[in-house]
Amino acid sequence: MECALDAQSLISISLRKIHSSRTQRGGIKLHKNLLVSYVLRNARQLYLSERYAELYRRQQQQQQQQQQQQQQQQPPHHQHQHLAYAAPGIPASAADFGPLQLGGCGDAEAREPAPRHQLHQLHQLHQLHLQQQLHQHQHPAPRGCAAAAAGAPAGGAGALSELPGCAALQPPHGAPHRGQPLEPLQPGPAPLPPPAPAALCPRDPRASAACSAPSVPPGAAPQAAAAASPSTSPAPASSPGFYRGAYPAPSDFGVHCSSQTTVLDLDTHVVTTVENGYLHQDCCASAHCPCCGQGAPGPGLASAAGCKRKYYPGQEEEDDDDEDAGDLEAEPPGVAPFAPCKRARFEDFCPDSSPDASNISNLISIFGSGFSGLVSRQPDSSEQPPPLNGQLCAKQALASLGAWTRAIVAF
Amino acid sequence: MFLKFSPRAMFYGAGGGNDIQWCFSQVKGAVDDDVAEADIISTVEFNHSGELLATGDKGGRVVIFQQEQENKIQSHSRGEYNVYSTFQSHEPEFDYLKSLEIEEKINKIRWLPQKNAAQFLLSTNDKTIKLWKISERDKRPEGYNLKEEDGRFRDPTTVTTLRVPVFRPMDLMVEASPRRIFANAHTYHINSISINSDYETYLSADDLRINLWHLEITDRSFNIVDIKPANMEELTEVITAAEFHPNSCNTFVYSSSKGTIRLCDMRASALCDRHSKLFEEPEDPSNRSFFSEIISSISDVKFSHSGRYMMTRDYLSVKIWDLNMENRPVETYQVHEYLRSKLCSLYENDCIFDKFECCWNGSDSVVMTGSYNNFFRMFDRNTKRDITLEASRENNKPRTVLKPRKVCASGKRKKDEISVDSLDFNKKILHTAWHPKENIIAVATTNNLYIFQDKVN
Repeated sequence: MECALDAQSLISISLRKIHSSRTQRGGIKLHKNLLVSYVLRNARQLYLSERYAELYRRQQQQQQQQQQQQQQQQPPHHQHQHLAYAAPGIPASAADFGPLQLGGCGDAEAREPAPRHQLHQLHQLHQLHLQQQLHQHQHPAPRGCAAAAAGAPAGGAGALSELPGCAALQPPHGAPHRGQPLEPLQPGPAPLPPPAPAALCPRDPRASAACSAPSVPPGAAPQAAAAASPSTSPAPASSPGFYRGAYPAPSDFGVHCSSQTTVLDLDTHVVTTVENGYLHQDCCASAHCPCCGQGAPGPGLASAAGCKRKYYPGQEEEDDDDEDAGDLEAEPPGVAPFAPCKRARFEDFCPDSSPDASNISNLISIFGSGFSGLVSRQPDSSEQPPPLNGQLCAKQALASLGAWTRAIVAF
Repeated sequence: MFLKFSPRAMFYGAGGGNDIQWCFSQVKGAVDDDVAEADIISTVEFNHSGELLATGDKGGRVVIFQQEQENKIQSHSRGEYNVYSTFQSHEPEFDYLKSLEIEEKINKIRWLPQKNAAQFLLSTNDKTIKLWKISERDKRPEGYNLKEEDGRFRDPTTVTTLRVPVFRPMDLMVEASPRRIFANAHTYHINSISINSDYETYLSADDLRINLWHLEITDRSFNIVDIKPANMEELTEVITAAEFHPNSCNTFVYSSSKGTIRLCDMRASALCDRHSKLFEEPEDPSNRSFFSEIISSISDVKFSHSGRYMMTRDYLSVKIWDLNMENRPVETYQVHEYLRSKLCSLYENDCIFDKFECCWNGSDSVVMTGSYNNFFRMFDRNTKRDITLEASRENNKPRTVLKPRKVCASGKRKKDEISVDSLDFNKKILHTAWHPKENIIAVATTNNLYIFQDKVN
């Protein structure tokens, strides 16, 4: 009965359960999938917090070295604020997960892949994400995260500050580089993900999704989902309070991420595709989310108008086909369109095989969007160089899994 | 407390004030180890008098057992339960619009109180509730003028006399006929039905909504609870069980996957989204784990017969709540605390999602619930003693006293104890029922129904 209580394996198990529930007789069980999503969220929080705690430690060392080099590019107070807020982040992270018991099943230690390798993977994804950001930021209106990104101390040596989306919504603190294109991240040592005390948000998976901040953090390393698309949705679970006030926030709350969500409402049989603004709702919908100092913005700021259409089974398959960017085989009728790709994915992520740290971190980053960021399938996404060959389809499929409710609802 | 003088030491276990010894009475169902999925028992319910015992299975069938009249000669045992009626309640359906198959598994059966010679019960699957009438026929008309006995019509030219049919006794035939079908009111899976104390209305609950029905009216129902959020992304909890108060026809409770119970008063408003009382126990932070949300989800809620208390079952414990105190339960009983360290494995094999039910005895002094390895547990609220028994064919001689079982959580395993690792998690007792008046219990293993009763001297 011993099992390796490993955040990574828990995540893969949970995803498998959600996937198999789609094909179970009797339809998708809402209750069970809700509970599985809680486990998924808990495991993700732990995983990310560990990652970021470690990466942050490295960043701290490097940051001090680079400070002098980057004097010109960085407003001094930015740096200080960043560092000042850095400190509380770690203890918060540790404290939040201190009482998190790992059940005592065998070893409670999550596996720790070679940090170097891990960092490199994260860095790769981070780079990719930045490239996508550049594609997106054509319009002058600064998205909060984009602005934050721009305002971030873009380091010549790649020392970018992290901008969790939640934090990015805070009032500006003098971001000088608003609207300017991001500097490409240069290969180098660790990017600067913040520690991820996502546990600031309570048990509500919505809140945790919010805290994981689906807005555009260019510095957030695990941006694999973003790698799969130009959307800026995913963000690591991060400490909103950590960065509060450090970075500018956009006036336009609604448009800091572009993502597409397809939801089938079981009651009205209406398929809704929501674009933009959706993720801000995720970010700040919960009153618990400390990132929004003003409290929940309320449904008024919620998802922008989507286009609704009546549900026809054939039509939906068609639409999903379009979204798949041709990566998927033709699906059997009535089956979730992403199923074939997912099956391939689960072979990849079979816990029997030694877990590929990069795969898992991609998985995490996709779900770093807090189940709510369905990465958009814009045409240029296929032009992105797949960061990890063979994983693009998987990531897209995972990204399309999106919110657990959509996993349940949209099929 | 444990008397170990001999292997046959009698254990004075839980009982209604007296020390009850539970004895094997009967077992129903196939003997094979190979369990056909359709035979898996999914619900067990005594009727109001206890004379009838209904079971529903995954194949959509309902089997009703009837207790024999007490045999005065053989006074050492109460009447046996024998099959009274079997019928197919629900069939599998297919929802073409959503490409969904609707399972025929019977989720719940609830008896109506008897008003005339016939018996009525409600049975439900995931989507549709049906009212069944079970009636007896022990006479039939014979001697038709124009028909032969086999039903063929006689040639009118051969009819020379006139006779009027008379009723003659026949072998008892029990007929079940569907009298009402309450359909198309639930988008999500129905988990509970509960008949109101007014005996005219009943509620049905699915994951997100509760509807109120009138037993006579099938084409409409009233939605009284709706917890579906405007945006499904914001969903954090679902309804897991609901029940009407046994005495107050305006009061009902529903439990949630977050471990809360809400008591609602239908007089307050048409839509009871706002609870009158919220029962919630704060989580113990030292017990926090990956699976905290799962194990705090309530799988069953039952009012006591008196209506003063209610009992909830979550994965590891049974809690008794006083309706007058919302902030914590008055009693908590650990069912199988030794599983707390095994939650990860139980998550992997899906056992952590098992929904155990619980039940009260007739006097509300003892509560019972099931566990794994075909164990079931009883907790005496007065003596604070508990007992673990096993439903197994090994003890299948009638009037064999059941031996108490013990699970060894860790450390040295004593003789006759079972270690946690050797528990069979495929053998689970999810459904139990207690006779409303006597110490007779019905315990459902996967595909067998066990009936135990207390030893009658």
